[in-house]
Amino acid sequence: MVLNKQQGRHPGFLVISCISVLVFLLIWEAACRFELVDQIFLPSPSAVLERCASMFREGTLMGHVLASTRRVMIGFLVATLLAIPLGIVLGTSRVARAVFDPILSFLRPLPSMSWIPLSLLWFGISETQKYSIVFMGTFAPALLYVIDATRNIDPLLIRAARNLGANRWQVMREVILPGSLPQIISGFKVILGLSWTCVISAELVAAKEGLGFLIMNGKEFFQTDAVVLGMVMISVTVLITDIVLRKIENKVLAWQR
Amino acid sequence: MFNTRRTFLKGAVSLAGAAALPGIVKAADAQVINYGGSAWLGHYPAYIGIKSGLFAAKGLDVKWQSFGTSSARMSAMLSGGIDVACTGIVSALALMARGSKHFSIVGVPEDFGRVEGLFVRSGITSIQGLKGKKIGVTFASSSHMLVLDLLASAGLSPDRDVSLLNVPAPELPAAFQSNQIDAAAAWTPQFNRIRSMPDIKLLADDTGFSLYKQYGVTPGPDVLVMRRDFAGKNADAARKFLQAYFEACTMLRDKPDQAAKYLTELTNLTLQDQIATIKDATWYDAAQQKALLTTPGKYVDGLQKLAEMLVTHKQIDKAPAVRDWTNVNYL
Repeated sequence: MVLNKQQGRHPGFLVISCISVLVFLLIWEAACRFELVDQIFLPSPSAVLERCASMFREGTLMGHVLASTRRVMIGFLVATLLAIPLGIVLGTSRVARAVFDPILSFLRPLPSMSWIPLSLLWFGISETQKYSIVFMGTFAPALLYVIDATRNIDPLLIRAARNLGANRWQVMREVILPGSLPQIISGFKVILGLSWTCVISAELVAAKEGLGFLIMNGKEFFQTDAVVLGMVMISVTVLITDIVLRKIENKVLAWQR
Repeated sequence: MFNTRRTFLKGAVSLAGAAALPGIVKAADAQVINYGGSAWLGHYPAYIGIKSGLFAAKGLDVKWQSFGTSSARMSAMLSGGIDVACTGIVSALALMARGSKHFSIVGVPEDFGRVEGLFVRSGITSIQGLKGKKIGVTFASSSHMLVLDLLASAGLSPDRDVSLLNVPAPELPAAFQSNQIDAAAAWTPQFNRIRSMPDIKLLADDTGFSLYKQYGVTPGPDVLVMRRDFAGKNADAARKFLQAYFEACTMLRDKPDQAAKYLTELTNLTLQDQIATIKDATWYDAAQQKALLTTPGKYVDGLQKLAEMLVTHKQIDKAPAVRDWTNVNYL
């Protein structure tokens, strides 16, 4: 049998995976239908599907997905765009590292939820507040990924470039950035997942749309089917964005393959 | 001397044992009841019952568990973690709409309708004047229902004509002060804080709610709920709990100064503010409960209409038959 070259997986495994998911859903549905599980505690897949269909018809589901995606993308992009240059500087300069390391060490362990009270004071109940929560939750980890990727560049390559007459800027642009990019991108894929956890925190407060809001509002009204739907939509959206990122990675880092 | 010391120790142990015995027997005999509470005024009777010894006098050991929201409290009741709780009716109705038979409504502690309302900047003189304005309100709360009802009665759409912003109750005064919103719906204690701000006026309180005049039902009255499984197995304890609970309600109504002394530890309010907060609500005693919860009856009919209104405003999917959840057998 032929192997799927891109995924490196045997097509037979895909069939096994599909059957596994189907069996899982059937057992879940049966447990709910035969009242082995109270639907208030765990709604059946068909109830979740029904909720999905009705929200899709009303046009509210896509509104929630798009609102969260927008918040994730803006917060994530601002964080990464700032993290790349700053990370390279910190990764190549000992002095800069000495200056910023203590601050980074302080920021890194802070969970996104801890920023909610301050962000409300700084930005009020606006969209900027939501973006800021995503930004604060992702910036420090993104920066650390870039620093780490930069420091992993073979010093011989940098020395060789300098010996060949490259100035500091050229070394950064021609050697450090392309050399660290694969590690930065794979790190950013992890950070993107993290930014989804941040957006859920951001939408706990003063939001009227978004998947976090859908989950929290569902919780308030014991609509557990809406809660599970929100969770499923987060997973689906993250999977889709991961596929898109992989495509971008293949294009940008075509030379690496 | 050795003998004397041994005799002394024996005697001391015996005396201590004899002194502690009634307490141990009493604690062992006392029926444990887990109560879900918070610093909200709806929980005052239960807290007073614990602190003043009203429950202990009935042979009950009521244990206090704190929860941030009604939904969290009701979730704990579903899982059997608490036996009795006060909750906003919206949360109870949402659970009833999902078909939960885990609990019954066994009492109504108070009516806080005059300390919940919609505040506006002084330039706004009517509900119609809210068109195009930003209104801060905590979603899924009684204030939310009040706003939706007031807007509907003025022919305004909450989606098109105004901008409703979901603001947590503690953040409402700051949001108002920093001009992020033009109006805010809040309940006590945020209600009192906003009321004291300059250039802010109260446009409507819960007495402006459409169901209030006809049924005496505010947008989200507090109700006392009890786990059915617990009450079924401990009917005597359930009755004793309600007797002590409504004695505390009577104290709140008739002796607010005395009641306030038990509460300042819970609420961190000054004694003066605590007395004022108690007086802001109307406390119902045991004698009034049957009139409130018997079906058919005006109050239960009002709760039924409220459930239907929640469906109209797309807060819940279907209206439960409220009478199936009321229970006056333990009063």
